[in-house]
Amino acid sequence: MREFVVPKTDTKILGKVELEYAFRLVAHYDPPQDSRTPRGTFRYQDIVSGEVTGERINATVYPDSGGQYDTVRADHVRDVDAHFMLKADNGEWLYMEHVGYRRTDGYYRAIAYIETDLKGAYEWMNNTTFVVTAKESADQRDVVFHYYIAN
Amino acid sequence: MSANHQGPSIEEESISRRSFLGGATTAGAVALSGLTLAPQSRAAPDAEHGGDAAPTTWFEGPDPAIPRIGLRWVFSATVFFADRVMINTMDSPAGRGYTSVGGGEIWGPRLQGRVLPHSGADYYKTTFSTYYMFQASDGALIFIHNRGTMRRFGAPYERGKPLLPPPAPPAKQDTVWTRFRATPVFTAPLGPHDWMNRTVFVANSQRQANPDHTVFSYYEVL
Repeated sequence: MREFVVPKTDTKILGKVELEYAFRLVAHYDPPQDSRTPRGTFRYQDIVSGEVTGERINATVYPDSGGQYDTVRADHVRDVDAHFMLKADNGEWLYMEHVGYRRTDGYYRAIAYIETDLKGAYEWMNNTTFVVTAKESADQRDVVFHYYIAN
Repeated sequence: MSANHQGPSIEEESISRRSFLGGATTAGAVALSGLTLAPQSRAAPDAEHGGDAAPTTWFEGPDPAIPRIGLRWVFSATVFFADRVMINTMDSPAGRGYTSVGGGEIWGPRLQGRVLPHSGADYYKTTFSTYYMFQASDGALIFIHNRGTMRRFGAPYERGKPLLPPPAPPAKQDTVWTRFRATPVFTAPLGPHDWMNRTVFVANSQRQANPDHTVFSYYEVL
């Protein structure tokens, strides 16, 4: 390994991050299907439908557009990896990705990334980081996600 | 991590980095450093982590039924990048960028150490995606995969005010504010750093000059 001499600097900054509430998603899932894999238990759950509501967007989860593809770890935390499409009430499409954790108490923390039309009404969501909190229902069939913009 | 985000803006607050080197770090040190807290800040119970944490700032939705989210500064990384290369790939107008990591240091209440020298790079394409290694002061190797977004606005974010687009060229660009947010996923060994395997983080990133380096301020999402 090559060494690296860290130059002396007098940087004295602590950058801020401020959250701003954006919208909610109520997502409805089929029952999970678990498989044993070399990486642990792979847990697939189809996202059947969902409704996005908020002051800045109203949309639905496009049916059969994706799902949640989690890995259940040795510590029983799930690595969350979800991909699906939204169709806004003005007809525009949005690609949604979740990366994060579902803890053993049923609570999620995740980051969401959205990609949408550069010329569309939701263009402000491109290159925006969303911080997500969520809670799963007892039967794991409904999850309410809340999205905050990381400003 | 590339080229065009700006240095510290007026919103940024001052803190003594030196006071967090070497692990002598307490919430009291944060207070002494002049870090001011937002009005809704409050101390959070910190049973899991002992008393060595910075205060939490809580953010709420428009309706009290909406769960709030807390952010708590956990550590910062000063990273010195080395080579900067752009590959003109065919499928993207932006191409694939490569910016290698030289080294750096990690400082703050919850993690101290260094960036493992020459341990990876940012392989960005429009958004960035950086892979390299931290080495904690106890020797633990921690993998960081850092994704991020960057977007420019006409002025820094102020709570309750909409963010407006930057002025179109050739208008004056003096007030342009770049919101540069990084979202790392860490893989840490079992032991004292295991909390990083189940914690979501969001970071602010600021590029600095003389010498060229980038300071990432990492917040734990509570």
